[in-house]
Amino acid sequence: MKRVLIGAVAALALGTGAALADGYPSKEIQGVIQWGAGGSTDTVMRSVTPHAEKTLGGTVVMQNMTGGVGAIALNSVASKPADGYTLLMGAENPLLYKVMGLGQKDYSDFTPVDILARGTAVLVARPGVPFDDYKSMIAYIKAHPDEVRFGATGPGGLPSVVTAMMDSVEGKLPVISVPYDGDGPALTALQGGAIDVMPAVLGAALESIRAGKMKPLAVFEEKPNPLLPKVPAVVSFNEDYAKYLPWGPFFGVFVKKGTPEDIVTKLSDAYKAGAESPDFQKLMDGRGYTIMNISGPEAEDFLSKWQSNTTWLLQDAGLTKASPEKFGIPKPGN
Amino acid sequence: MEHLMAFLMIFTHPELLMLVAVGTFAGVYVGAIPGLSVTMAASILISFTFSWDVYPALALMVGIYMGGVYGGSRTAILLNIPGAPSAIATAMDGYPMAQRGEAGTAIGITTTMSFFGGFVGILVLALAAPWVSEFALKFQPRDYMLLAVLGIFLVGSLSQGSLTKGILAGALGIAIGSVGRDPLTFAERFTFNMPLMEPGISFIAVMIGMFGVSEALLQLHHVGQPAIKQKITRIVPSWSTIRKHLPLSLQTSSIGVIIGALPGTGGDIAALMAYDHAKRVTKKPSRPFGQGAIEGLVAPETANNAAVGGAFIPMMTLGIPGDAVTAIMIGALYIHGLNPGPMLMVEQPNMFWFIVGALVMANFFMLIFGLTGIKLFTKIVAMPRPVLIPLIMLLSIVGAYAVNNSITDVYWMLGFGIFGYMMRHYGYPLGPVILGVILSRLLDDNWRRAIISERGDLGRFFGGLFSSPLSTVLLLAVIAIFVSQTPIWRWIKTKLFGRNSRSLEP
Repeated sequence: MKRVLIGAVAALALGTGAALADGYPSKEIQGVIQWGAGGSTDTVMRSVTPHAEKTLGGTVVMQNMTGGVGAIALNSVASKPADGYTLLMGAENPLLYKVMGLGQKDYSDFTPVDILARGTAVLVARPGVPFDDYKSMIAYIKAHPDEVRFGATGPGGLPSVVTAMMDSVEGKLPVISVPYDGDGPALTALQGGAIDVMPAVLGAALESIRAGKMKPLAVFEEKPNPLLPKVPAVVSFNEDYAKYLPWGPFFGVFVKKGTPEDIVTKLSDAYKAGAESPDFQKLMDGRGYTIMNISGPEAEDFLSKWQSNTTWLLQDAGLTKASPEKFGIPKPGN
Repeated sequence: MEHLMAFLMIFTHPELLMLVAVGTFAGVYVGAIPGLSVTMAASILISFTFSWDVYPALALMVGIYMGGVYGGSRTAILLNIPGAPSAIATAMDGYPMAQRGEAGTAIGITTTMSFFGGFVGILVLALAAPWVSEFALKFQPRDYMLLAVLGIFLVGSLSQGSLTKGILAGALGIAIGSVGRDPLTFAERFTFNMPLMEPGISFIAVMIGMFGVSEALLQLHHVGQPAIKQKITRIVPSWSTIRKHLPLSLQTSSIGVIIGALPGTGGDIAALMAYDHAKRVTKKPSRPFGQGAIEGLVAPETANNAAVGGAFIPMMTLGIPGDAVTAIMIGALYIHGLNPGPMLMVEQPNMFWFIVGALVMANFFMLIFGLTGIKLFTKIVAMPRPVLIPLIMLLSIVGAYAVNNSITDVYWMLGFGIFGYMMRHYGYPLGPVILGVILSRLLDDNWRRAIISERGDLGRFFGGLFSSPLSTVLLLAVIAIFVSQTPIWRWIKTKLFGRNSRSLEP
């Protein structure tokens, strides 16, 4: 509490001063985490930030601000001055806000400091299903239309994107899509037999796969994941997937657009060093995330490719509220 | 042997023991303040203990959890404001007891029974975790739906006086619960295109408003009257009282463990169901329910503390959280480099036994902290009303704000407070409103999941109900309870047994 108070007093005293990298950071930096405590975004940010602080030579005070699929945190940071003293620590969701009708702002109003890591999607099934890999699953679905139950987490969630990818590559698959509140409850339901197949992020399913409680059918990558070397990559079943990959939920640190370039560089350097720390790498590996650690134009490219791929997939699957075209999001490949 | 060492670890490390004690103590008081919840405390702790070792961090969290679930009963008894959703049922009979000047006795019983329930929960966790989690996994969406329907029948138990008014209040609660963006499809419901309505109405804000603010407003009528004198001669209940309620507390503890172990339900529903169960099975309560029946305290308090052990069952065996607090603890385990999941028990059985040990200690500390300091607490009710009423208002506002750091929640809370005051004036019970809000999502989501899974085919849905023994049993329970509350049942009974047995009347 005392720290917060001191920070607040310091903010009052220095808040209006011009933000120049020479003296940056001259006060505490606020990090706004888009998701709740104990969630994956929270874990990632809280483990990388202490390492970044060492390089930065300042403190980052993190707070969780939840609600509106992360839009409340995004809008809050967007309303603060672009001086590098408020960081947005978020996941991939904002790139879908516009097409899903969840908000007017997204990462195009921000500058990426560092895209830290990316998750891998994996298709898992409950052990009792009569198929063992991706190929036999597709054959089974086609032979038994409207029988296989897929878990979902609402439009825009990872399962909806993976299912849209499958529909676009294999043709519309006749499955029943059963919605859950999140991948946790859906994976629980999978183990209880309420659903048959679930597209999930690798980290969430990894331990249950290892224990044999779930059957992995394919990883949505171009090559098998080192954590599950025996599970084939989806591209080995159908090469058409290659155009959408690599794809996955990601975590990144952002500042408001218009933040002085030297401050962004300073922050990027700090987070880059933080992401290279062995502690952080170990945590990410264990949870099945791939370290990206990119910034600058590379990160911008990644974001726009991700947004164009995903929004158009959802648009073609009829899951959007408004066409990506309306927001000037180009079709993939254009 | 190694497991025994892990279990005893908490006893041999004074610093860990201290942390459990500190956690439990903090939990009792955090739990007692409406709006400051265990979930919130746990999420603050997760960032606070980030750089700690895993054992101290868990010791603190386990303490907070155990203490917090118990603490909710304090303000429920003393002020008629449940400190946590799981203490709603406790207020029903606890507050009338405090009104008679028996707050000390009520807290004493609550504490002992919480200890008992907590112990049953831990015992089941330690001895039967794999089987219980296996059973909990069997619950399909349709079973959760039936459970919610069963829960809705509690309206009958929670409304004193007119059942019609109770049903109306329950329906209102269900409607409140459905406001906002539907989490399954993101469709907006009852939002009138206002961004403020999109996240839905915070259930905690409704609860604090309806119980806290409306109570403060009601107290304004009695500003001039002297406060109730509390007699605190006997705090620890006599052995005969405990023995008398042993069968009931075993039953309600079992309800608590099972409901707690189900990944979709927690202590709040467990406590309400246990209260209802007590009302059904107790032939001769010490006093009529709703007027200070001891059974009405025993049931919810054993159940919600038993649910703590229950919630750990799926967490430890499968890596699936049993409720919001265990979900945060799973996050904590990840941060500390452990991988909670089905392999945790196999690869790190010590972690399991350590948690069991910490829970046992937290339960004892809860008993100690619960039974001491009662005198101080009962002084709260004895405070003059011009001090007490602003205090309730202050607590309510702080509590409502603290849930989401949102001023909108404070407005909701005040609005529902005034509304709740009006409802009380016209004899509408408040319990069913909260019940409706709690069950709204459970019922709605699972009904939709169940019917979607059956391709929207009602025939297949009913077929499914009879294909699984679990669903069939739940369905029969729903039918039995429904029929037993209708006049037809009474009529059949008089015909069959030839005399009017009023004791079973709901």
